[in-house]
Amino acid sequence: MLELDDVHVAYGGLKALAGVSVKVGAGDFVSIIGPNGAGKTTLFKCISGIVAPVQGTIRFDGQDLTKVPAADRPHLGIAHVPEGRQVFPNLSVLENLEMGAWTYAGRRDWTDNLEYILGLFPVLASRRDQLAGTLSGGEQQMVAIGRGLASSPRLLMLDEPSMGLAPTIVDSIFERIVEIRRDKKLTVLLVEQRAVEALQSCDRGYVLETGRVVLEGGHEELLSDDRVRKAYLGI
Amino acid sequence: MNDFLINLENVLQALSAGLLLGGIYGLMCVGLGIIFGVMRVINFGQGDLMMVGMYCAFYLFTTLGIGNFLGAEVGAIVAALLTGPIMYVFGLLLHRFLVSRVTGVRVAGLEGEGHYAQLILTLGMALILANGGLLLFGSTPVSIKSSLSSSAWEVGPFVGEFVSIFVNKARGIALVVSLAVAAALYFFITRSRLGKSLRAAADNPEAAIYMGIDVDKAHRMAFGIGTAVTAVAGGLVASYYPFQPYVGLEFVIVMYAGVVLGGLGSIIGAFWGGMIIGLVQQLATLVLPTQLQNTAVFVVFLLVVFLRPQGLFGVNVTRA
Repeated sequence: MLELDDVHVAYGGLKALAGVSVKVGAGDFVSIIGPNGAGKTTLFKCISGIVAPVQGTIRFDGQDLTKVPAADRPHLGIAHVPEGRQVFPNLSVLENLEMGAWTYAGRRDWTDNLEYILGLFPVLASRRDQLAGTLSGGEQQMVAIGRGLASSPRLLMLDEPSMGLAPTIVDSIFERIVEIRRDKKLTVLLVEQRAVEALQSCDRGYVLETGRVVLEGGHEELLSDDRVRKAYLGI
Repeated sequence: MNDFLINLENVLQALSAGLLLGGIYGLMCVGLGIIFGVMRVINFGQGDLMMVGMYCAFYLFTTLGIGNFLGAEVGAIVAALLTGPIMYVFGLLLHRFLVSRVTGVRVAGLEGEGHYAQLILTLGMALILANGGLLLFGSTPVSIKSSLSSSAWEVGPFVGEFVSIFVNKARGIALVVSLAVAAALYFFITRSRLGKSLRAAADNPEAAIYMGIDVDKAHRMAFGIGTAVTAVAGGLVASYYPFQPYVGLEFVIVMYAGVVLGGLGSIIGAFWGGMIIGLVQQLATLVLPTQLQNTAVFVVFLLVVFLRPQGLFGVNVTRA
């Protein structure tokens, strides 16, 4: 479904990605783990079109994404739940979700999607008219994920959904992600620093370090890999 | 009629004049406020865009014959309203060919986020419009003449046969139209999908792109609406106020003060900021000589900035 081949990105003279190739098949749950500054967020921004690659190709369902303007990509079925949540602080919770439904598919499925999102995160129902900027971090993460779902995506990209959240909330967010994938038969691409949670829920994973894929494999394979165990799982 | 009643009548008269003026100022401020609110661009050309709107209404009324065709009274209002769509298109073109080059996604991450370039561009635009206006329209003041600007409604008398206020018909109608336009815009921004997308693009342009909102298009629309709204306010002013190509300068200060007073970024706040300025200007004449009208405005302005720096309606939501 999504195929990145030899993608290079540079900020000025600084190489953020140096030839990254990632494949995500339809229905897959793929995790990308790696330390801070490895280029995980850059990779996502590249897929969303905020950052343009200097070299390499990105294909979504066979279509060359680099030729599609950033604002048109969500309409193809790509939902990006950005790092740091990035909700619209001065819009209400409901309005945030409505903006998620800006895509053609999201508009069509709005009623069903809203019901599903509020069922998934009941706390949002009681806060629907509250400004999103006044919510707690965990609630904002729920809004951000809900906003992504409201676009009726086929590919859901989650950038560090655990960032800055308490451990119990992180657990419940990960449970919800697994639940969403099961209910909606979504393809999920997850970027995480929390390697344990990310690798446990995924089918396949990539380890990204300083702009390169240093390791890839199935979830069993990565969990039992010595380097991964030492560097990321602390075993 | 004793002193008390005379004073009462003066106060009421000043209050009504303040409301009439404030309503129009409010609409002008909303135009500037929406441009700043959505694009974060300080548009120094707003006053001159208003001037272009005033001439647009004037020529619609005279040369294009709307005044003859519909009668001076209805014609004046229709000319002011028609200025809206014309100036909307003018705003879109300005944004497409000039303003978008120094704003929006293109300048994200640049030093000062392109504010220096914006300042120079909008200031240059203001000068070109004002001086271009001088070449095209000449320096003789003109206005849209109808019987409305020289007649008044009498409200009252409230106490026996005394204490009545007189409302200039042109100003009264201008207020009603201005309130209607402001209310329509308010509902558009808060209730409609498109309006919400403008607010989303203002709140977090990057996240708006992730939603599939074309931020550049949203900015263009905001600039068009902002231009159109201020121009309509100008068209209404033109029905009772003689103007020349430098008229923008008289109003742009009021617009800035109003927008800051109401809270930068708040569109409702901009309206009330303008309203407060109108009221202060007129009420100040009760106790101060008329030359000090604007001094009073800036004393109130400084007080608000001092006591409530985010403006009356400014919200301080921390960015997530």
